[in-house]
This record gives sequence, C-alpha cells and structure tokens, in this order.
Amino acid sequence: MKTRKQKICNWILAVVMLAASLFFLFPVIWMAANSFKTDAAITRDMNSLAAFIPPALNGNFFDNYITILTNTSFLKYTVNTLFYAAVLIVIGVIVNGLAGYALAKIKFPFRERWLMIIMLLMIVPMETIITIHFFFIAKLGLLNNVIGYILPMIVNPFNIFLFRQVFVSLPDDVYEAAQLDHCSPIKYFFTMVLPMSKSVVATVSVFTFLNVWNDYLWPSLVFTSGDLLTAQIGLNAITANENTTMGQTLAVITLVTIPVIIIYSFFSKQIVEGVVSTGSKEG
Amino acid sequence: MKKKSESILGMAFFGPALVLLTVFLFLPMILTLIFSFTDFFALNPGLTHFVGLDNFFQIFHDEDFRQAFVNTICFVIIIVPLQGLGSLGLALLINKVTHCKRYFKVAFFLPVVMSLAVVSTLWVQIYGPEGILNSILAHFGIPAQPFINSASQALPAIAIMSAWQGVGYQMIIFLGGLQAINPALYEAAEMDHATGWQKFKDITLPELKPLCIFVFITITIGAFRMLVQPMVMTGGGPSHSTYTMVYDIYETGTVNWEIGLASTMAIVFAVFVMILTVIQTILTRDKEEKHENKKAKNL
Repeated sequence: MKTRKQKICNWILAVVMLAASLFFLFPVIWMAANSFKTDAAITRDMNSLAAFIPPALNGNFFDNYITILTNTSFLKYTVNTLFYAAVLIVIGVIVNGLAGYALAKIKFPFRERWLMIIMLLMIVPMETIITIHFFFIAKLGLLNNVIGYILPMIVNPFNIFLFRQVFVSLPDDVYEAAQLDHCSPIKYFFTMVLPMSKSVVATVSVFTFLNVWNDYLWPSLVFTSGDLLTAQIGLNAITANENTTMGQTLAVITLVTIPVIIIYSFFSKQIVEGVVSTGSKEG
Repeated sequence: MKKKSESILGMAFFGPALVLLTVFLFLPMILTLIFSFTDFFALNPGLTHFVGLDNFFQIFHDEDFRQAFVNTICFVIIIVPLQGLGSLGLALLINKVTHCKRYFKVAFFLPVVMSLAVVSTLWVQIYGPEGILNSILAHFGIPAQPFINSASQALPAIAIMSAWQGVGYQMIIFLGGLQAINPALYEAAEMDHATGWQKFKDITLPELKPLCIFVFITITIGAFRMLVQPMVMTGGGPSHSTYTMVYDIYETGTVNWEIGLASTMAIVFAVFVMILTVIQTILTRDKEEKHENKKAKNL
C-alpha cells in the first residue's frame, strides 16, 4: 500500500529529526563529554567537534568524578537526600493515604465539603506561603533540622486527591468480609487497601522522590549548614567553591542527574501516565 | 451507634492530614492575608501596626517590585509561545515519524528529568563569554554575545533555556492527546481526498483545542512561578533584569524579614496564579462537557 515516495519521505523526516534532536541535546552531550576532561582540554576542544566527544580512555578518565566523590561532601549530600525522600515517602503515603481513604470510603461529618476544600487547596501556589513556613520553622528553632525540613512537606492535597480517586473504586464487599473476620480498619488499610492499590502508591512515591530530589527553594531556606544539605543545594555549594574546575562542575551535575534518569527508566510508565492523565506535576 | 463509630473512624483517618493541613496550609494562608495589611517585621514583632491597604500602594510604587512584575510578564510573553508551540510541533512530528519513534520521545524529554538547579548550572557554562554556544555561533559568523551577562539579553536567555528544559513535558501531553483522536476521522477525511493541511486544520486542531488551552495556561502558571533559574544563574541581575515576583517575595520575606510586605506581594502573586487556574479549569471543563454532549448526541 505504501508508495515509494512515501517511504522516502519517511526517511527524510527521520533524518531531519535526528539532526534536530542532536542539536537540541547539544548541551547535554557537551556536559557528559566534557565531564571527563581537564579544564585545559575543555578550552582546547571548545572550537572543534571534539567538544562533543569524550577524551580517550586512559588512567585519568574518571579523575573529575573521583575528585567529586572523595574530596567533596557530595556522597553525604546524596545519602541525606535519599534519607529525606525515604522518610517522606513512608510518612506521606500513610498520612495522605489515610486521608484519601477517609474521603473515599468512610462517612464522617462534612466529608463532601472536605473534599471540595482539598481540591481548592490544589490551586494555591506554594510560593505564596513559603515565607510563613520559613517564619514558623525559624520560630520553632527548627532551622538546620531534618524535622523542620520534613514537617511542611508531608501533607499534599494533590496526593490526597490522587489516593481518594483510586480508593473510591475499591469494592466494598472486601471490606465487609474483613469486618466479619474482625479485622480492624487500620489493619485493613495496611494489609488490604494499600496492597490492592500498588499503582497509585508507586505513582505517589515516585513523584515524592522526584520532588525531594529536585526541590531547591525550601531546602535552601531550611538548611544553611553543610552537614544536612540536599544534593541540589550541595551541588551549588560545590560549584561555588573556587577550587572546583569546570570539568568537576560538569561531573557533579551529571552525577546529580543520574539517579533521576534511573527512576525515570524504571517508572516511565507511571510517570507518563501521571503526566498524561493529570498533567499537573510542576516542571 | 454505627454511624457514630464511623464518624470517629473517619476523623481518626483524616485527622493527621487535617492537623498538618491546618498548621501548614490554612494557618499560613490566613496569616499571609492578615500580614498583608500590616507592617509586620519579624525581627521586631512588637512594633507591628495595621496599615490597611498601604502595602498594596507601596509595592506598586516600589521600583524593585514593579521591575519584578514587568520582568515576570516579559518572561511569560517569551516562553509561552516558544514552549507551547514548540511542544505541539514536536508532538506532531514525533506522531508522524515512522523510524526511531521511541528515541525521539526520550531525546526531547531528557531535559525534563534534569533539575532546574542542574540545568541552570549547566547553562551558566554554555552561555559563558567563551562558552560552547558562542563558539558554535562563531562558526556561523555571529559575533560573541554576552547572554546572561547583559541586562537586555539575560531574561530572553533564561526564557530560551527554560523552554528547552520544559518542552518535552508538554510534548508528552500533546502526544497523548494526538493518540486519543479517533482514527476514523482521518479515514473519513481521506475518502474525501482532504489534503494534509485540511486534515490538520479541521480534525487535529479542533480535537486538540481543550488540551492546547490546558497546556498554554499550565506553561503560563509555571512561568509566573519562575525563581530558581535567576537565583542560580544571575542573582536577579544584571541591574535587576532577571528579578521576578517570586524572587522579590523570597528576598523581602526570608532575607529582609519584612513579612508584612512579602505577604502583600504573595497575595498579588497568588491572585494572578489562581485566576489563571480558575480560567483553565472553567475552559477545559466546559469544552470536555460539550465534547461529551456531542458524543452523547451522536450515539
């Protein structure tokens, strides 16, 4: 059915788009290639195509990365961020999940009204109240404190709503059967509801991780000391240091990006579904 | 009896979230509103007065805030067509291409996964006076540009970088929309010997219209909230050319501790963003309902 002309057109389109995509990605290619070079080599290659090609593999190939991992606190910042993300995922799934379940399945006073309020809260931009959050945390003496960082981030109207939308379609007869077996509601929630809704738990966890990993403003306000910084703030501290070379800067931003790429490649289905169906993660 | 125990159970489940919502959302919102009518200075709270609407007059007479406001609007005007049309164009092309479709999706999505701090740090190098972009431009005979080091180019330079970072996200949304269009529509058009342009104008665009509204307003809201890029790249300069509304809120509130004034700015900012969100909700919901009605009629 396909004509020869159409086939050629398809190939031309693909080749043109390949060229466009390479041009589009030139900053990323340049970053990755030059993260293995010394500053002298970066400057030398700047005016030729060699700027986009990694240097020859020799003993010094990973020098920038080794310097970043051994001479700076980068690993510490990474471990910090992973720890904050893990804590926030666990607490966030429990708190927002319980609230979502209550809004979906339990008849308590003003339930419909609470649901309306949660939906309205989703449109409030966080930048509006971040000053007050900072004021609260400073007043409580929780600056430079993990608790001060985590507390305002736990509850998330968007996640509550997401859980509610999934839980509302869970079958009621399972709950009735569990009640006959004298299963307490809280036990039912953890042993039945959450395992039956693995997909939404995964989506919320992934978005929580990405939010914690990529967040800039809030951690930069709460953390001022070097020991507690997240990867993004730590990256700033490392690159601001006079002794950090351009190659090391490129190495550290490549390192900060790698975990996110891993998450995206494992959970691309959840993320793309989340993007397409809700379209409301903040870029 | 049963009803009462359900109420208790409901509040027990909803309670932890409610406490946190109260402390970290309701209370801050109310306080922001109250503080916006006061001269509350966090380092000297004893001297707080109620000043009525004074703050609102003051911020619009304040040179920095006016500049921040104008910059934010300029940023929106540059980035919205760039990122919106860019993502639509990319989605149409990727939908059409027959080879390496998956590669193209990943390639144009890649900058989305990079954080704003990473992208900003990277582009400081790329926009450098002797950076890679100037060296590429030199190959085309274009003289070196100052980019983020000049007051006239810094904001457009940051807008282009931000569009580059975000375009893949909306591209995925548009691709989802394109795949949801009923192929029978195109088949019918082909029977009528419609040209490619006619098919695009009469089928693709009308079908994508609700999504277009959604995407363009989402980009506008995101652009209003811009902060991290100038924080990392320029510190709001040169000569305040990349100072944004959120940047002013942040500096006034958390650096200078003038929480009264910062709250007033936050209210102005929130009103803009929330109006946009409400317009978005109404327009897209309206269209969807009409769409559903049309479908129902056709059945």
